[in-house]
Amino acid sequence: MVPATTRAVNRGLIIGGCVVYFLAVGMFERFTARPVITDLLTLGWTVLAGLWAVAGVWAARTVLPPASSAPDGDEAGGRTARAVTHAALAGLLAGAVPALFLLLADAINLRPMLINAGATMVNALAVDDSAVAGALRLVLAALVIATVAGIVASAPAQVRRVAGWALGMVVLLALVEPLLRVIIASLGLRTSWLYQRGGLGVSGAVIALVLGVAVGVLRRRDTPTTARDDGDDGPRARLARGGRIAGLVAGAVLLLVLPRLVGPFLSEVVGTIGLFAIMGIGLNIVVGSAGLLHLGYVAFFAIGAYVTALLTSPAAALGTELSFWAALPIVVLVTAIAGLFVGAPVLRLRGDYLAIVTLAFGEIARILALSDWLRPALGGAQGILAVPAPTIGAMRFRDPQMLYYVIIVACAITAFIAWRLEDSRVGRAWTAMREDEQVAQIMGISISRYKLLAFALGAGIASVSGALFAVKIGSVFPHSFDILVSITALSVVILGGIGSLRGVFLGALVLVGLPDLLREFGEYRMLLYGGLLVAIMILRPQGLLPNVRRMAELGEEERLQDQWLKRAGDAGDPEPAIATTKTDGAS
Amino acid sequence: MSLLEIRGLTKSFGGLTAIDGLDLDVAEGEIVSVIGPNGAGKTTLFNLITGVYPADGGAITFDGVELVGRDPDAITRFGISRTFQNVRLFPDMTVLENVMVGRHCRTKSGVIGAVLGLPSARREQAEVREQAKEILSFFGTRLSGYRHNQPAFVLSYANRRRLEIARAMATGARLLLLDEPVAGMNPRETAEMVELVGRLRDEKGFTLLVIEHDMRVVKGVSDRVVALDYGRKIAEGTYSEVAGNDRVIEAYLGKKATA
Repeated sequence: MVPATTRAVNRGLIIGGCVVYFLAVGMFERFTARPVITDLLTLGWTVLAGLWAVAGVWAARTVLPPASSAPDGDEAGGRTARAVTHAALAGLLAGAVPALFLLLADAINLRPMLINAGATMVNALAVDDSAVAGALRLVLAALVIATVAGIVASAPAQVRRVAGWALGMVVLLALVEPLLRVIIASLGLRTSWLYQRGGLGVSGAVIALVLGVAVGVLRRRDTPTTARDDGDDGPRARLARGGRIAGLVAGAVLLLVLPRLVGPFLSEVVGTIGLFAIMGIGLNIVVGSAGLLHLGYVAFFAIGAYVTALLTSPAAALGTELSFWAALPIVVLVTAIAGLFVGAPVLRLRGDYLAIVTLAFGEIARILALSDWLRPALGGAQGILAVPAPTIGAMRFRDPQMLYYVIIVACAITAFIAWRLEDSRVGRAWTAMREDEQVAQIMGISISRYKLLAFALGAGIASVSGALFAVKIGSVFPHSFDILVSITALSVVILGGIGSLRGVFLGALVLVGLPDLLREFGEYRMLLYGGLLVAIMILRPQGLLPNVRRMAELGEEERLQDQWLKRAGDAGDPEPAIATTKTDGAS
Repeated sequence: MSLLEIRGLTKSFGGLTAIDGLDLDVAEGEIVSVIGPNGAGKTTLFNLITGVYPADGGAITFDGVELVGRDPDAITRFGISRTFQNVRLFPDMTVLENVMVGRHCRTKSGVIGAVLGLPSARREQAEVREQAKEILSFFGTRLSGYRHNQPAFVLSYANRRRLEIARAMATGARLLLLDEPVAGMNPRETAEMVELVGRLRDEKGFTLLVIEHDMRVVKGVSDRVVALDYGRKIAEGTYSEVAGNDRVIEAYLGKKATA
């Protein structure tokens, strides 16, 4: 094993490299425009400090024991000292690397290679001081932050949790400022006690800290205590159930009034989240349940949007001018059939090959929409305009705050379908197919049939999203349907946890909602996706909200076993039970 | 008439002839063991019967139906199911779900039934669950109780083999093909498996074709033994006839050194 000190040095250098990357791609400059605590701390410096803190914690972990084993006496003391030293060392390096980069950028012109490493960056990083002074400050800041982080990392779990929550809460509240400020304002309350000019005010920061500490103190690792409570009807269980129901009701009410609370712009964001959630649910059936890696999912989304426009728009060549509701079943059917056509030729492909071919299908769809050949029907690059809004009686679902409700209902219906299928004959056939295609077939499952079914159903669900997209924009253009849509939908599924329905919503919230909320991230969206996906694959390959049923079973296995053994013990020893069956068999 | 009739079955991979003009009959209610050294073509025989590989020539008739050229899932529907030499369960599915997958080909509810919660689909789901539990109870307490909801990958090796048999039973097969059912088991588990194979026929009425290396097991379970070498049948008969056969001994141990 590599000595702990070497590993700490490596970790410091890696974080140093990350900091340089963060600077060189211009994120730092962009992020300094966004305050976290107004006039005190910007998002750019927060990210730097965060990276250095990570260096400290990560380096301290080279010598700290795993969380479970309890340290004792002298040994623990010596270990803490070493942990803090390692943290400081890593912090020094994590600060020195960007400091050197700063000096380099100041001394020679790096802009031909790194367009962002110019005077603006130097000034922002050196806080309008000389580059040398700035570089020294960087090293010092990194050293201090990493050392403190190392000290916290060596502290008991309670302290670590409180510190994590307190700092996390400040950043979180600052980041959701555009959302939270609008909500508070729409309730008719003042916001200056929390937010000032785009960031937390000083009072707001104090409130956030206190809130974070409170959460950290109250939130114990509560699983062991509740798990031991196996009397199902105890007052505690009843309380928990009551809490769950109250939570559900509160959530439903919140969903109903949300567009009024957040205003038109954020309603639009929420609508987009909903569209991607629907796509995620559909793609989850194809990728998560059936295990078919589909990279051209945008094709179905596009077909849904185009067929909707063709059937409903007065400007379309077809001229049917159906209402949205009359068109929707046709849209779903047509797209599902398109799904069969895509699925049929790739039935025998698996894994990488399937991914490449479906990727091509996605591109073919876009290029066909752009082509001269289909211009008379689809309008080429001009697309199809004047897609009418859905109406019910006098209600028109055009503006984001109204269309939101249609999207929510569509989300609910598609999620319900996916949920019902999970534990059904069809869902089991898909799961079996995903786990071992050959064995599934030998056990009597018709592989081609269930693959086609997954494709058709996934396509049908994506078409609903596409149809809603068409009425949301009011027109369809080929350029809306590039590969990024497929990649985003797939990222939503992977981030949330492949095969997990709740995960899809969280994934859509994080991947679609956050970049819209943090406009600074806008141009780094792909970078964010890439980094996030790599991190997820390394740290939590099952996703943020993994398929609950199975995880819960894994955790509860021990408890169930105990219970069962106890019951078997009450009824008589389990061993004789085996013996009886044996004698039965012999007779 | 035999339940399974194999005539002149041939399969080669490139230049290697794995099964070479094999004839084999299995009568209803019989337990037949297939033995032979490694590479004799035993597992290939199973793969041909279940349609995993297409045969190059010959005929496989099951209950009067010609099987050569059919897909594996269709063959399973006719009533043949199998286990695998290297256990192949659906590891992330629960014990109960693994068995329920076996019932797939005997049930028929689809997407609409499941989504709308139609009574027929609900009834079928409940039935399948009960049938799966019933099948698992065949293994005593080993795969029952809390085990139902455990994912298959947490099971012990012996239990995985048992679960594979349960899954094969669930397909409603008449003929079970067991590929080395006791491989990797300890003596006690092996003895239990020998008894279980007997019960599969006596209580459940299955016909069994078993590949096995452990000669004590072969002796314990078989009505008839077939020995293969280089894809050909070199001996057939009762256990003692085959075990004493010179060509069988030669296939396993090599030719006697003659002066």
